[in-house]
Amino acid sequence: MRETWSDILISAFHEVMQRLSLVIPRVLALLTLLIVGWIAAALARRLVLRILGAVDFDGRCARWGLTASLARGGLRQTPAQLLGRLVFWTLFFVALLMGVEALEMPATSGLVVGVVRFLPNVIIAILVLVAGWLLANFAAQAVLIAAVNAQVPLAPLMAGAFRWLVVSFAVAAALTQLGIAREMVLLTFGIAFAGTVLALAIAVGLGAKDLAREMLENHLRGQRGDPDSTTHV
Amino acid sequence: MTDWLHPEALLGAEGLRGLDALGPTDLLVSICAVNQARSAPQVVEAAVKGVSGTLTARASAILVVDAGLRGDTADTIRDWARTQPPLPPVRALRVAGPPSRPRAVQAALAAARHLEVPAVALLDAGLVGLSGEAVELLLRPLLDGEAEYVSPAFSHAPSEGTLSSNLLAPLNHALFGRRLQQVVGGCAGLSGGSLRRLASSEPWDGDHTEYGLEIRLAIEALTSGDRIVEAHLGHKILDPGLTPRDLATTLALTVGPYFGLMDRYRSAWFATQGSRPVPEIGGPAALLVETGNAHPDRMVRAFKLGLKDLLPVWEQALPEETLGQLYPLGLLGAEEFEFPPDLWARIVVDFAVAYHECRLPRDHLLRALTPLYLGRVASFLREVHAVASAQVPALLDILARAFEAETESLAARWR
Repeated sequence: MRETWSDILISAFHEVMQRLSLVIPRVLALLTLLIVGWIAAALARRLVLRILGAVDFDGRCARWGLTASLARGGLRQTPAQLLGRLVFWTLFFVALLMGVEALEMPATSGLVVGVVRFLPNVIIAILVLVAGWLLANFAAQAVLIAAVNAQVPLAPLMAGAFRWLVVSFAVAAALTQLGIAREMVLLTFGIAFAGTVLALAIAVGLGAKDLAREMLENHLRGQRGDPDSTTHV
Repeated sequence: MTDWLHPEALLGAEGLRGLDALGPTDLLVSICAVNQARSAPQVVEAAVKGVSGTLTARASAILVVDAGLRGDTADTIRDWARTQPPLPPVRALRVAGPPSRPRAVQAALAAARHLEVPAVALLDAGLVGLSGEAVELLLRPLLDGEAEYVSPAFSHAPSEGTLSSNLLAPLNHALFGRRLQQVVGGCAGLSGGSLRRLASSEPWDGDHTEYGLEIRLAIEALTSGDRIVEAHLGHKILDPGLTPRDLATTLALTVGPYFGLMDRYRSAWFATQGSRPVPEIGGPAALLVETGNAHPDRMVRAFKLGLKDLLPVWEQALPEETLGQLYPLGLLGAEEFEFPPDLWARIVVDFAVAYHECRLPRDHLLRALTPLYLGRVASFLREVHAVASAQVPALLDILARAFEAETESLAARWR
């Protein structure tokens, strides 16, 4: 009885030790990968910042209007800092995936493969969203300035509508890229776009006919009746 | 350093052969055209008269440089010259490539350099109001050794050339210390020495469109220590058949290159204090009686619409203090509207700094200036109508001093 009891204790102890001896190296591998990944990501971020600084990336982004668009979107960091952060977290995420893979847990064995396979779609979707958002801000500002200079009433409304049109197009494109409810997204976007155009046509045709007439009259009066003789150059 | 006025590169071997056939030449009148077949013969006639008067003893030549896409200006001039009595040699050259006014000017300068002329007059082919005397005035001081650069000045009504009178000229006075009426007058005279120095200066990068090269010629003369005279050329009349550009585009094409060149010549204007006039020839430019229909009320409306709708854009260029001074103007009616010169000068300086720092896309920035500029012009026209014409120079003087008062802070912010 006494021997049996001690045998059980010893075998349980051995069992646990054996299992721990299998798990501990994997946990250590996970921790090592996380630490190495963190260091490598930090170095890569620093390298990226140096390269971007050398090519005056922030200055170029300012000239292209990207910095102003980012600021309007509430992002106070410079484009170079943002890109540095993106590089850091991407590398760290890769290290994390490697660490999870090193654990060799049944629950995570398919996860890494799935994530890696899906990752390019996610990156493309993010790029589409960012590009769409920047383009929307740039184009909306251009529409606003052109409309105000042409003395079109409700210029901010036009610019806002243009911004959301471009943003919604970018969102639809990103969702399609991710394969999320592809048919539904296409259908929704098509209906929303056609509906907006129809609504605008009805609004101009019925609700804003006086406004349209006034704009046309102003335009034609400016061209024919009493043109301004001011010459600027 | 790249030779940006290399004759062969700009004119081609055939063009150079045509120039060589002219033989030794004392003076050259270059007419720069971009699809301007309609008005170019009229300007050539003025050039012929200009070199046929008291300058007739000098070996002169007239060159039409056509940088248009159609190339019909050069053909028109050749056909026109065949029907005329014996003239000073008239040549027409076509510069290949997309239509570009700066390229026509660049080719004209290269031709003058190749001929090694002591004096060259550059004329825009749209300046149909130029007389023979005006062309002579552009050349005479260069030939007599009185100047290395002749800048044009025109008689004008208050509503003519308001971009020059309210922005370019006072800003130019304040930055470079000399009071020139025109920075984009459409014509100028350069001596051979000035041309040689220009050729060895920093290359023209070509990205400052339309008026950029013309502005650079004026600034180069102002900063190089060249002797400058201002020639009164009469009333500036442009070819009425030209399709006028919209105001926002005009602002982008004139103010943009000027702001761009401010950085290139920053060392010259950092230390400028005050401004002084330049010697005049041909009498002082007169203020003409207003004959057209200027509409300050419409300009005020445009300003108020801008104040209502463009604030998010202006906020990126103007500091809060400047914006705070703008808001009360939105409450004024057209009859009492007043855009103070000091506020206008500060706004222009703020926009120049925003352009320099690329706070928003530059084309957007320049176009967003339009309602503010219209507000200032409306105020200027109202001021002018309220005073006797003899007092108008005093108004312009106040404006010039307002810009001068801003240069110190501009230099501090530019660094």
